[in-house]
Amino acid sequence: MKKIFLHPLTVRIWHWINAVSFIVLIITGLQIRYREIPNLTKFKTAVDIHNLFGFILVLDFVLWLVYYVFTGKIKIYVPLNPKKFFIGALKQARYYGYGLFIGEGNPHHSTPDDKFNPLQQSAYFMIMLVLMPLQLISGVLLWDIRMFAGWIELLGGLKIVDIVHVIVFFFLFAFLFVHVYLTTLGTTPLEHIKAMFTGYEEIEER
Amino acid sequence: MHKKDLRKAAGEKVLHTLSFLIFSITSAYCLVFPGLSGAQKLPVLENAGACMGCHASKDLAMVFKNKEKMSVFIAQGDFRKTAHGALSCTDCHQQVSLEAHPGRVVESRSVFAKESSGACRNCHSDSQLKAKANHAYVAEKTDAPLCTECHGAHNVMRIPQWKSSLRGKEYCLTCHRRNISKTFGSGEKLSLLIDPSNLASSAHNKHDCSDCHTEYTGDSHPVKTFAGGREHSIALSGICRKCHEGKFTLLKGSIHYNLSFQVGETLVSRGNPKAPVCTDCHGFHTVGPKAAYETVSGIPCRKCHEDIFRIYAKSVHGMARAKGEHKAPLCASCHFAHEINFTAMTDKIKGVCLGCHKGVEGLHKKWLPNTELHLSVIACAACHAPTSEKGIYLQLIDQKTGKPFTHGQILQLLGTTSEELSARLDTHGLGLDSYQLSYIIKQLNERGADAKVTYLGQMDVNKYSEAHQLSLKKNAIRECESCHSKGSKFFKRVTLAVIKTEGGMERYPVNPDVLTSIISTFSSRQFYVIGGTRIAFLDLAGIFVVFCGILLPIAHVTIRVFTAPLRKARKSEETGRGKSK
Repeated sequence: MKKIFLHPLTVRIWHWINAVSFIVLIITGLQIRYREIPNLTKFKTAVDIHNLFGFILVLDFVLWLVYYVFTGKIKIYVPLNPKKFFIGALKQARYYGYGLFIGEGNPHHSTPDDKFNPLQQSAYFMIMLVLMPLQLISGVLLWDIRMFAGWIELLGGLKIVDIVHVIVFFFLFAFLFVHVYLTTLGTTPLEHIKAMFTGYEEIEER
Repeated sequence: MHKKDLRKAAGEKVLHTLSFLIFSITSAYCLVFPGLSGAQKLPVLENAGACMGCHASKDLAMVFKNKEKMSVFIAQGDFRKTAHGALSCTDCHQQVSLEAHPGRVVESRSVFAKESSGACRNCHSDSQLKAKANHAYVAEKTDAPLCTECHGAHNVMRIPQWKSSLRGKEYCLTCHRRNISKTFGSGEKLSLLIDPSNLASSAHNKHDCSDCHTEYTGDSHPVKTFAGGREHSIALSGICRKCHEGKFTLLKGSIHYNLSFQVGETLVSRGNPKAPVCTDCHGFHTVGPKAAYETVSGIPCRKCHEDIFRIYAKSVHGMARAKGEHKAPLCASCHFAHEINFTAMTDKIKGVCLGCHKGVEGLHKKWLPNTELHLSVIACAACHAPTSEKGIYLQLIDQKTGKPFTHGQILQLLGTTSEELSARLDTHGLGLDSYQLSYIIKQLNERGADAKVTYLGQMDVNKYSEAHQLSLKKNAIRECESCHSKGSKFFKRVTLAVIKTEGGMERYPVNPDVLTSIISTFSSRQFYVIGGTRIAFLDLAGIFVVFCGILLPIAHVTIRVFTAPLRKARKSEETGRGKSK
């Protein structure tokens, strides 16, 4: 086992702001959309909190984008070699679906330049470069419908923008459970979580 | 009987006796000494001296059975100047004789007048009475006024002399202050009685009758016929336009005009036959000053809209007005006086509300997210008349122009009639469903060149009368949950509202399910209320996705638990292999 520095401070700050915002936005989002489920807050309060954390998430996303683009680390999200990605994804799927159960080692070993296994890479690529922009843009448009009326019209109308926001919400909400579960699949159940606080992670040596 | 009345009766009896004595003595004197009598000096009034012996007294009066009293004083000098100045008293009062005068006591003044008027016909024949058309019209009526009612009794003037002595409306009022009337072809009766006091207090009190009734002069009095009172009112309201062209221009675009005035050159009544014309609100001769209409009691609208007025009277505005708050609006403050128009699906009323309640947008912004949006799609009354029933009104909008399609345009584009369209839009009797809604848009898009059609939704009260029951600000609906929750009662009634070109609105009931159906996602893509009009299918799909997200880790963990012995065995094997190395 060896310790490597996997998560720089900027990434860790971004991650935890992201995590808190996600949870608050999910709860308030549910409160806004489903008033019939247990009421934690008034609709107006839920909207106000949702708007506040929505903008925090927007700024956090900008922080993430600027950091990853300017450090060039954005490439860790992008499968540059399709063949390698495809083979790696199959191996990783086999690991999660079979190897892990019989005690095989993880075929992917994280490094600062190759942090994600191919399945993580494709999932985070979709989340960070497709779903998050969709969610943030649709959220901002819905925040002030009159101000962004032209944009909303361009995207197909109010109902369409709202549907996009809700569909992405369902996927991100569902992914949250998978994401949290995957954090427990380190060398120890808390290894990945600790690493997101300290930046250092213990990984198996090859 | 009181002592006072007894004294009065006794006095009158004495006066009568004295009158009779004077009449008898004077008559006898005239007969015995004819050369000394007044009749000799004035041969035209041969026996007037006898009569005037008593009737020159201003105190002489006639008392009828019903206790009415009438002066029988004759101003001899004036009488000489009348048309009948050459006649003697008995030419008309043929029944009066010295032997029996004053004779029997007549029942009442009106009976006496009727009996006396009969004397006119001694000289004035039927053909003479009917020589003038209007005189004939009046004279032939069963309830025609008595001759004396128009011409007087002892002051009958020659017509040219009479006309020249009267000015302006006095000339007309000679007849029209009488209880005369006209009967229309429909049998309706129109009173032609003009109350001079109404004229005096009207805004038109400086005008002569002929300023409005231009065809009527001292020499001309055409007889007009109308089918009924409605036609008469419409025709006479046309007169107002001569001076009030500005008001007429405003009126021309109004819903009242479209329902009641002329189309082209033809006078017709469309829609509501009670829709008002000028005289229905302002009256014929009682046109009041503007201030008269600015009082609760002066509102003419309530004649037809009494139900709405009752609601208004209980509203915050009505109560404030009743308490004397002059800034509180009356009907015309919001609807305007002449340019009254259909307000549903327009911003007109909202503009009026915001005109008085300045800064209201800022006040709403303090607590209402997306204030402009809320204010643009929700009618003020929807929240400020909290007890009113609400509904959603969908409107077909041409996105190219941003204007709603009118009923006429839709019929033209679809090549159908109003009845066919109604039948087509509600084939199941449950209101338009999502498929029908989408189909209409598809057809309109196909036939309306490249017009992009969509539905815009607004929330308003269901009954427009309820829009008047505005309440105090503290009672207004401000709970977001009222709308932003599934099953909100405000979304139970949906209507496709189509404005008619001539005013008014055609309403087609819509099945409320269209607001939550995935099928109408694109057709009603501009109307969406977060939480309130959730698409049911989307919710189900979302629950499935989230359920998968939860199930996946649970399934994986479960398999991990069951396969733990495999990993343990493998680890032991690897450990053992390591040790053996």
